Amino acid sequence: MALTITCPICGKRNGYEFKFGGEEKGPRPDEKDLTPTAWCEYVHMNKCVAGVQEEWWFHKDGCGSWFKIHRDTTTNLEMEVPKVKHPAAKIGGGKSDEQA
Amino acid sequence: MFLKNKPMWGKKTKLKSSYDVVIIGGGLHSLATAYYLAKEHGVTDIAIIEKNYIGFGGAGRNTAIVRANQRTQHNVPLYKEALDLWPVLTKELDYNLMFNNCGNLNLMHSEAAMKAARMTIATAQFHGVESHLIDAKEAKELVPALNISEDITFPIHGAMFHPPGGVVRHDAVVWGLAKGAAKKGVEIHQQTEALDIGTKNGRISSVTTSRGVINTNQVLISAGGYSAALIYDMMGIKLPISVLTIQAMVTQPLKPVLDHVVSSGAYHCYANQTLKGEIATGAHMDPWPNYTTLNTAHYIKHQAEALSEFLPCLRGVRFMRIWGGLADMTPDMAPIMDGNEQIEGFFMDCGWGYFGFKSCSAVGKYMAQFMATDQCPDMLKPFALKRYEEHKLMGETAALVNYSPDN
Repeated sequence: MALTITCPICGKRNGYEFKFGGEEKGPRPDEKDLTPTAWCEYVHMNKCVAGVQEEWWFHKDGCGSWFKIHRDTTTNLEMEVPKVKHPAAKIGGGKSDEQA
Repeated sequence: MFLKNKPMWGKKTKLKSSYDVVIIGGGLHSLATAYYLAKEHGVTDIAIIEKNYIGFGGAGRNTAIVRANQRTQHNVPLYKEALDLWPVLTKELDYNLMFNNCGNLNLMHSEAAMKAARMTIATAQFHGVESHLIDAKEAKELVPALNISEDITFPIHGAMFHPPGGVVRHDAVVWGLAKGAAKKGVEIHQQTEALDIGTKNGRISSVTTSRGVINTNQVLISAGGYSAALIYDMMGIKLPISVLTIQAMVTQPLKPVLDHVVSSGAYHCYANQTLKGEIATGAHMDPWPNYTTLNTAHYIKHQAEALSEFLPCLRGVRFMRIWGGLADMTPDMAPIMDGNEQIEGFFMDCGWGYFGFKSCSAVGKYMAQFMATDQCPDMLKPFALKRYEEHKLMGETAALVNYSPDN
């Protein structure tokens, strides 16, 4: 679960210095004609992608920047910006060697 | 050992091309739903399809704790029924689920926490769930190993004591329900991955699996922590869920020292002593969404620090094993159970966070009723997905300080 994140100002740092800021969902919807459904979609709804997703981070124990990275949620590795959209989610792999 | 030999629940069956009901995920919610569909509603033409093996996910990774001292009026009755069902299921399934109702002791570390506990206890008592507020001295009498001195990081002010809770052997529940369901005709297909869900004329028509297409009118996705990704991937439905790894570990076996389940919100730590003598203990979730189920030194250190403060007799005891599972967290710490809403014939049961194990018995019963009758039982009505856009969040979290994936 070790995670390093590259802050645009401070560079590559330990993941625990940062706070996860949610999936990238595009711009905040316009207040004008805003429906509860559209607001709920923006505030609450996630894709929960098992694979590469674009997401927000906040460097809370550092420079205080908000920025976006791409990360593979199945490996916890920061990724280069993908050239093509990631194919369909592939999840649940691997075998557990521990049960209790 | 899981695939070659005869499965422990009965005969290995061939995957047919059509079933009345297909359930995606071979965990406890799926097994329980299938069991009750067959037992109480005569629906036996069911295929449970599981990518790995039954009990691979949360069913085999949780810390086995059961309790019914939730916070809100909609949640408490559901968990109470789940708790009441353990002895019933033990008899019905003729399988020893090793229910040990040793009681849960939930430590409070401030006057504010004591006040919050008072309200939770009042709700519990109103719904007929035994729960008491006790002071630090009484807590010490129940668990002599407890450190109630004031010179620890979070001194203990008192506790919420919930005697009917305890632990249930989670693997036994998997095996018992699998056996019980298979006996009634339910088919369990391991190593079978759901790839897509087909619809025709606005209703469910098929499930494409790694072993072929199955025609069906009803699909339930209850795949624990993997549900949200599957539901988005196959149905395009977004959910208010964040999937986080949650870690747990056990120490070396010790002589009996802990007669109750002890938990602490402030220390982010819960512990109980297993029948083998190990202290099984779990931590808070990883702070960012991931599907890794990997372990970290961060949490081993965290558990060691927490336990050695409020149970100082554990200082120097070694951890033997550590593992991780997934928790699909919702903003209001309450699950999402819905059906025939987004599309006719599609049902979902997810967002349980770390409460999936303790709820599985009752949820299986009610989801089965929902699917068999196509009518949402009153018990499940408040858990519909729509509540989020109606801004009727459930308040299982007393005070949401930060809106974050791990609440």
